Amino acid sequence: MAMLVEDPPEKTGIYTDAEKNIGGRHDLVSIGEKIGHICLGVNPTPKAWYFWAMLGFTGTAGLGIAVGYLFYLGVGIWGINQPVAWGFAIVNFVWWIGIGHAGTLISAILLLVHQKWRTSLNRFAEAMTIFAVMCAGLFPLIHMGRVWLFYWLFPFPNNMGVWPQFRSPLAWDVFAVSTYFTVSLVFWYLGLVPDFAALRDMAKSRVQQWVYGFFALGWRGSAIHWRRYEKLYLLLAGLGTPLVFSVHTIVSFDFAVAIVPLWHATIFPPFFVAGAVFAGFAMVIWLAIPLRISFGLKDLITIKHLENCAKVMLGTGLLVSFGYFLEVWMAWYGRSEIEWGTTLQRMFGPYAWTYWTLILTNTIIPQLLWFKYFRTNVTWLFLISLSVHIGMWFERYVIIVTLSRDQNPSSWGRYTPTFWDLLTFAGTLGFFTFLFALFARFIPVISITEMRELLPVSAGGRDGHSVMENAK
Amino acid sequence: MARKLDPTDLAPASGEVQVRGLDELMDSADFREMMKNEFPEDAAEWLDPVTRRQFVTLMGASLALAGVVGCNPSFRPAPARKVVPYVTKPDAITPGVPLFFATTWTLNGYSSGVLVKSLEGRPLKVEGNPSHPGSLGGTDLYTQGSILNLYDPDRSKTVMHDGTPSTWDAFKAGLFKLMSKLKDTGGTGLRILSETVTSPTLVGLLDEVKKIYPKANWVQYDPVGRDGARVGVKLAFNKPIQPVYKFDEAKRVLALDSDFVTSGPGAVRYARDLASKRKVRVYEGAVDGVGPKEMSRLYSVESMVTGTGAMADHRLPLKPSEIESFARKLAAELGIGNGPKPGPLPKLAEDWVGPLAKDLKDAGGAAVVVPGDHLSASVHALCHAINEKLGAFGKTVTFVESIEVNPGDRQADLKALVGEMKAGKVEALIVLGGNPAYTAPADLAFGDELKKVKATIHLGAQYDETAILCQWHVNEAHYLEAWGDGRAFDGTASLQQPLIAPVDDGKCALEVLAVLLEKALIGPLELVKANWKKHFDTVVKKGSFDLWWDACLEKGVVDGTAAKPATPGTVSLDWVKDAPVLSAGKGLEVVFRLDPTVHDGRFANNGWLQELPKPLTALTWDNAVILSPKTAASDGVKVGWPDFKWTGGEHGRAEVDVVELILGDRKVLAPVWILPGHADDVITVHLGFGREKIGQVGAGVGFNAGAIRTSDAPFVATGATVKKTRDKHFLACVQGQYAMEGRRPSRHGTVEDVEKGLPAYKEDWKAFDFADDPIVSMAEKGLLRRLLPGSPQELNRLGLMTPEESELRHEKHGEHKHDDRLIELTLLSDGPHPQFKTYRRWGMAIDLGACIGCTACVAACVAENNIPVVGKYEVTRGRAMHWIRVDRYFVMPAEDGGTKKIDRSPRQKAALDSASVTTFFQPLPCQQCEKAPCEIVCPVGATVHSTDGLNDMVYNRCVGTRYCSNNCPYKVRRFNFLQYADYATESMKLVNNPEVTVRTRGVMEKCTYCVQRIRSAEVEAEREFDIREKDARDGRPRIKDGEVITACQAACPTGAIVFGDINDPASVVRKWKLEPTNYGLLAELNTMPRTTYLAAVKNPNPAMPKGA
Repeated sequence: MAMLVEDPPEKTGIYTDAEKNIGGRHDLVSIGEKIGHICLGVNPTPKAWYFWAMLGFTGTAGLGIAVGYLFYLGVGIWGINQPVAWGFAIVNFVWWIGIGHAGTLISAILLLVHQKWRTSLNRFAEAMTIFAVMCAGLFPLIHMGRVWLFYWLFPFPNNMGVWPQFRSPLAWDVFAVSTYFTVSLVFWYLGLVPDFAALRDMAKSRVQQWVYGFFALGWRGSAIHWRRYEKLYLLLAGLGTPLVFSVHTIVSFDFAVAIVPLWHATIFPPFFVAGAVFAGFAMVIWLAIPLRISFGLKDLITIKHLENCAKVMLGTGLLVSFGYFLEVWMAWYGRSEIEWGTTLQRMFGPYAWTYWTLILTNTIIPQLLWFKYFRTNVTWLFLISLSVHIGMWFERYVIIVTLSRDQNPSSWGRYTPTFWDLLTFAGTLGFFTFLFALFARFIPVISITEMRELLPVSAGGRDGHSVMENAK
Repeated sequence: MARKLDPTDLAPASGEVQVRGLDELMDSADFREMMKNEFPEDAAEWLDPVTRRQFVTLMGASLALAGVVGCNPSFRPAPARKVVPYVTKPDAITPGVPLFFATTWTLNGYSSGVLVKSLEGRPLKVEGNPSHPGSLGGTDLYTQGSILNLYDPDRSKTVMHDGTPSTWDAFKAGLFKLMSKLKDTGGTGLRILSETVTSPTLVGLLDEVKKIYPKANWVQYDPVGRDGARVGVKLAFNKPIQPVYKFDEAKRVLALDSDFVTSGPGAVRYARDLASKRKVRVYEGAVDGVGPKEMSRLYSVESMVTGTGAMADHRLPLKPSEIESFARKLAAELGIGNGPKPGPLPKLAEDWVGPLAKDLKDAGGAAVVVPGDHLSASVHALCHAINEKLGAFGKTVTFVESIEVNPGDRQADLKALVGEMKAGKVEALIVLGGNPAYTAPADLAFGDELKKVKATIHLGAQYDETAILCQWHVNEAHYLEAWGDGRAFDGTASLQQPLIAPVDDGKCALEVLAVLLEKALIGPLELVKANWKKHFDTVVKKGSFDLWWDACLEKGVVDGTAAKPATPGTVSLDWVKDAPVLSAGKGLEVVFRLDPTVHDGRFANNGWLQELPKPLTALTWDNAVILSPKTAASDGVKVGWPDFKWTGGEHGRAEVDVVELILGDRKVLAPVWILPGHADDVITVHLGFGREKIGQVGAGVGFNAGAIRTSDAPFVATGATVKKTRDKHFLACVQGQYAMEGRRPSRHGTVEDVEKGLPAYKEDWKAFDFADDPIVSMAEKGLLRRLLPGSPQELNRLGLMTPEESELRHEKHGEHKHDDRLIELTLLSDGPHPQFKTYRRWGMAIDLGACIGCTACVAACVAENNIPVVGKYEVTRGRAMHWIRVDRYFVMPAEDGGTKKIDRSPRQKAALDSASVTTFFQPLPCQQCEKAPCEIVCPVGATVHSTDGLNDMVYNRCVGTRYCSNNCPYKVRRFNFLQYADYATESMKLVNNPEVTVRTRGVMEKCTYCVQRIRSAEVEAEREFDIREKDARDGRPRIKDGEVITACQAACPTGAIVFGDINDPASVVRKWKLEPTNYGLLAELNTMPRTTYLAAVKNPNPAMPKGA
């Protein structure tokens, strides 16, 4: 085990590159070992890993129970009713899909705009995206009354000649989410291929060699491999970029297209995309902090990375807050009794506490990030990210419970989750944690290839992204 | 043909018998007995050793029977239910094509003619019989729910003897033994207890019983009867006559604590008559209703808020004790000088009397005062005097000879009977229907005394509280299983013919009496026929009896049987000297009423009726102590408004306080419900809940208000106290939000508004702005109504106006081009299929002025469309499944008719003044939007538009995303969150309408304008292509207006709902939609609803002190 620098760079002030993206003194070998040895088990697996993996596994089991019972009895086990026909399932769907946004944003958009600091984050952020989209995708599936007919949402040839109804945002969702998931997965896997090959070559055990070798798809590192790899990577980055915007835009159409008061608003697409990035970066911070502590990756994920994430959060948080203001403004300025009445219900009705929780956690608390102290203090960052998670979840909850008091007063109602709603949500949190724990242990959490490229030319690297450099 | 195979006959009383083999079975005593019964003429042959021929036959029969003997006799074994296709098809039956049979439904002794739909021998749906004077095609909710009782799995299925299953034969043997004893003594101690009976045949049999057993006595008793009305007539006229009201003649009506439109004899007919004078029509081509000047005026003075009170132009909440004073005061004001002295009245009531009396007097005989059935005899007598004074006799009130037999004080009769039972004077008591052990006043302790009677026989549809105390219980046949007859409110007789053989071999009262008369071999049909043969021979006299009989059966009504008109003579006021001066009692007054949905408890096991939201309170699955906001806030009570907590909330789950209601030394724990508009210091409780011996549906539902009801105060008790406990109870209320929140979904105006708008309405659509949405910007006012399907402008634009209509409604001015801007947004109008707009366009219009909120439409919809019962728990979670609901709104003066929005607490403060609260109803089915928000959001196209404009629901295609429900601004879609449809209970499978899909879990459902009826009418029309008139529009055979009637429309007693083809110039719905009061709910969303509403028009008297 080669830990070249024991002290974190923020203390020693030693950085490998000029932009301070890599702390400590690193070269091609040390980078490879630092990341690869986690996967290969050369470093002992940290105790915390066992804790998180077990916790995640328990949650996954809970999810299994919740979904099993759901399939047995039907969606009536949840708290949904008339008029609130969507409940936790859609709240969680939008929340998870929002979290899933940061990954592709970091790996595709930041790549295209030459943000070198993305390299330390993109791999696990993409993994986060994939797992979050998996959790997200589960919800619209299981929230269907007749889940066994889910495939009717796909345009498949059938003897009845029936197709999905393409005017429905839910039909758009199917394409948006499945496209996003596919592209994200391929993008992620593509980036992993050279790393798998590197692990294959580093591995001592036959099993590891065989497994990593299998996933390396016969990568030999030849020039033609690199050339094709870089071309494809660039293409996928280009393809992923619009998807970052399209997915949440289309998810927001679920609401914006409806005529429910306060749903029916053009503000939704930009507002949702900003919210998604906001939530996604909060999750990146949440994942980066334990990773750099448990696996000793402080050299690779430095405080600078966390601070950058915090800055993005601050910016998108302000956009989101502007959205909250606009919703109220438009309702008031629109002079529609129903819109304004619903706004008042939202602010002072039976669910007022959720609205004000949302304002506190999404608008007020993130203002701390204006101060460098909070952006660079790991504990504070963790807490502020927590606040954003809560806030973004309640944002969707507030939107959903708008259904409880809509146009016609005679059908006003209430919504509250049941035990099964909570278990399903907790279950997806566990599922996500479990998948991420497996990922962190067996797959390079940071791209070995790209980190090596990031090294200064003097250290054998390319001082940037070869994909972008070669594309010039 | 041999008698129907009946396994209960051969089942041993003790239950199971293990059969080891065929031989043993054939040898068993049971089998021999069965064979004797089954084939009496061949019985000997069967007991011989088995021959080859017999063996082959026997093999088939006994295999089928092998399971039978071993079965629990209370269950019908599966082999006996085998469905065998017709070998020879009966002429009348075409599989899949329903038949309708006329029969008679009787409740509280009064009959109503019904047409029952039968499909392949299975009665499915009850409709009103248009030929019957008590129905005119309408029904009440009990009639709609009655069909479910036929298939109730918890029905009594067998004769019971001392708590063990027995047989009809054993019962007959037992009764014979008893009769031999009774005959010797001339029937000493034989008592027959029944509910009010008007059935001519049954009355005839009871008379015969009286002949054979001269010392026997027949007692009639109704749980909440009309003793006051009966005795009142006696006081006033001293002869057995009955009033029949003619509300279609009345210009001024005062309902004195009377809910004559939803309860009492003739309610359905009275509702229709009353509504016919209250549907205000302005459009020159109108085919029904009256002009604003001819509209009647309805006053209501009452304690509980009722449908009548909600419809009234002026409503005064008064305590029951004050109502009598009010009547006396009114009498005095009208110049009945020698009437009884009134007690003190509240100020508002004092102010009411003068203008009210003047208004009644001014009507010149076209006024009527209707006292409630439960009011005291003196009020009834006084009301007769008032009506006489008003000159109403012969105009709005006519009298007929008593339809009831032995009209008298039933309560006193029952009391006397219990006295005899106590004294051991009753040798045998035959209870013919009813459940007196539960429904009789608590102080009589009927059940305890019943145990002391030596021989007790109970005939009932349920093995209930009375049945369990009787030695013999005979399972009663449902009215669709038995022959019989009955009389309507005006005496018209109708025949009750069965549609199905008794499913569990139930017996009717006629059959039990026949045994008593030793006529057991004569079937009920013969008994009924014999009775009518007498009528035929004495009255009709000409033609063949059989032809006459068939004609009567077909029509369901026996013509010319209405009770003979009686001349009332002058009203006597001799009783006045005995009438004490009244003063309101101390403490709270308690009003006992039959429950609006489960009646006296006889429907407590009927899931449809239990789940039906009760008019005004919107409660389901419970009864409550109903009190006014002011009483709730008063010192002794101090209960709060319902807390709408957690799931369901306002649309389902209300958490309320539990109080102890104390009356004398009796008390009961009950949840409270605060009802705006209810009289102060009065509590209304509904009977029929808290049943002890009942099936699985009614078990543990509600509290038994009968436990504090005594025979000296059966309808109103004074001196009650209410003590709040710390307990809470969850009530399932489907509409807790009672205010319109300034949005005014249910709109209304006055006759004055109509007259003001009348001269200008053709040019200026804002003339009827009371039908406009108050929250829409001024520029859009009126315009929105032009966009509605069927509006004159819309028809004009589509070129569908007939020349006559254009003549009537020519738009001279005000046609501004820019005002059509919204029309341009209509996707369907000039799209690729403009013919869609000119083909049939089904539409509905609902006249809010005629709605009395009785919920018969909801019950009818449940029966027609296989709407599942979800149970109280699911209702509290906001998951009631009704496709049509009756929204009701309470409006306080500060809300300005619902136009202004006020906050919850000022509203609650305003509600303290019960007299100022007005109530509005709004039946809400699917609006069938032309631009349906639900359709565009369904990802799989499970809800789509048909060419005739229905918003169809394709259950098979639905995957259950529920997006359509979210996007429906009317929230009329209902989702099967769980498996609600009962697939498990065998008998419940039979009640389902095979023309409507039974929905599974995970599927959205909603009103489709009874699309099955539309489609079958279309099939019918196409089948008759050659003989039908062709439609000019497309050459298809024409469907005449009225040929398709939706279930809600058919049931509506007041005819407030009309349905038809908007494009058909002759259709009533089109005429209604051409009215300037026509508006679309939430039309500002540009949904273009096909269901529209006619704003209610009220006719307030400007001289009245308050516009309430």
